[in-house]
Amino acid sequence: MFSEQAAPTAQGLLAPPSGEPPTFPRVAVEGYSDLSQPFRLGERSFSRQYAHVYAVRLAGMRPRLERRARGRWGNDIALRRLSELQEGEKCCVVGTLFKAMQLQPSILQEISEEHNLVPQPPLPKYIQPSDELMLEDELQRIKLEGAIDVQRLVTGTIVAVYGCEQEDGRFLVEDHCLADLPPPLPWSGPSSDRFVLLASGLGLGSMSGEALLSTQLLVDVVTGQLGAEGEQSCAAHITRVILAGNLLSQNTQSRDTINKAKYLTKKTQAASVEAVKMLDEILLQLCTSVPVDVMPGEFDPTNYTLPQQPLHRCMLPLASAYATLRLVTNPYQASLDGVRFLGTSGQNISDIFKYSSMDDYLEILEWTLLAGHISPTAPDTLGCYPFYKSDPFILTECPHIYFCGNAPRFQSKLLQGKEGQRVLLVTVPDFSATQTACLVNLRDLSCQPITFSSFGADSED
Amino acid sequence: MERPRRITDSFPRRRRRGPGRPPGRLKDRKDKDKDKAQLKVRDCPRAASQPPPDPALMEMLRRFDLSWEYGPCSGITRLQRWERAQELGLSPPGPIRDALLEHGDNPDVTYRWVWDGVGW
Repeated sequence: MFSEQAAPTAQGLLAPPSGEPPTFPRVAVEGYSDLSQPFRLGERSFSRQYAHVYAVRLAGMRPRLERRARGRWGNDIALRRLSELQEGEKCCVVGTLFKAMQLQPSILQEISEEHNLVPQPPLPKYIQPSDELMLEDELQRIKLEGAIDVQRLVTGTIVAVYGCEQEDGRFLVEDHCLADLPPPLPWSGPSSDRFVLLASGLGLGSMSGEALLSTQLLVDVVTGQLGAEGEQSCAAHITRVILAGNLLSQNTQSRDTINKAKYLTKKTQAASVEAVKMLDEILLQLCTSVPVDVMPGEFDPTNYTLPQQPLHRCMLPLASAYATLRLVTNPYQASLDGVRFLGTSGQNISDIFKYSSMDDYLEILEWTLLAGHISPTAPDTLGCYPFYKSDPFILTECPHIYFCGNAPRFQSKLLQGKEGQRVLLVTVPDFSATQTACLVNLRDLSCQPITFSSFGADSED
Repeated sequence: MERPRRITDSFPRRRRRGPGRPPGRLKDRKDKDKDKAQLKVRDCPRAASQPPPDPALMEMLRRFDLSWEYGPCSGITRLQRWERAQELGLSPPGPIRDALLEHGDNPDVTYRWVWDGVGW
């Protein structure tokens, strides 16, 4: 991108300095609106049970699934509740999936004294061939078997199954369907090239100097301090930077000071204090030049349950003096220049990865869009706030750009839907591991990676 | 002349806890007192200033609680549950809402069923 669109009269780095250094004003921000209001929690009450989340999810998605079932299997199919099932009658049931997994970590098993078990170490995947799927609606549940991929689906998905009940009480599935892509949003994107930089997993506080050099290079490119005039004029087209979570590294989360004696740990400071100071300095450099949206991630100092609330601005005193810094929630939804962004810091995708046979982060991202829900495994295996009124993770409109942070590598795909939806799916890679960020062009929904690798001490050169 | 500005306008006085009390929100104490007051009120007959709630009304509200169409009833007030059912398009009966608003100050009516370990 940079070399193709360099200004034609730009001079290279080896030219003598010009008398009047040219300036490239950054393209102005037009039409930004933050739409993540449903993810902001005001007063929080944890005295509720999670049954409300599932009840509201099913009630909210049932109409859409019934419409889709009628469209797929005919208008005259019988839509039944589980309590109305007749044996041998072909009908369609809409309900929530529950996958009974033997390896799923269960706190009750761990603390049960009669088993005397050592807590299970975390595994990359908890799937087993012996897993079973059950369909639950408001009152009953039934075991599913047949043409349904048990390994691929996860708990909490709302599905419509078509089949009939057997004598032994199981439901034989002939076909099933998910909610499919949500209805499309009108497209009013910009007519000229506008770029948004997506980066995630900066991983500050990990005590590795190489990662810091790459981060500094990223900041320098965005603020136009790197490259000749060609690169600088291109960098001026970057309208926004979105940092999708894990700004701090996992090393800052070590809690061994809890087990040590007080006299040994009295003077030690939490590793996250130093890391947040570094983050503040980096954000200061970015904020002086470009609007930045900072989303919290798994290892950041904010709440653990989804939706994660924004980082508090008192942690970033230098950077929060600038109005260009926006501290936002995870998941994050915003409309930029008429283009709708929706993304998370990756906890939802990595949780589905653990409990499903799907291996590809892009495939899982696409699957969540087709299932109509950002994070079906919450609250079962992923922490979630006990909502009671509505489930804000249900996708009601199809975003134009749907991203997830902290993926193992960069992938992107432009998905076309039957009703005219056009979605760019982006898996933003972990910057501390891959030194790669993504540049999304808002005009034509194209995406390309940009890598800032430096030569390490052990590389041959 | 207007009242001179005091520092307590921006930093209001807070009730100090006694020495040796574990750190925690003062609100906890207030909630416990409220619960005790509610229990007391339920045991003894209601004060004469408020008319006693109609047993037919209480029965109607109980049936509203136990009807499965409107979702779980635990942990939220009846009015919240009614409004949630309304938004989801389940058309809960209107008289229930009128009754809930009319007796909004009666804790037996507004009633949020919370599992507190005492029951059976």
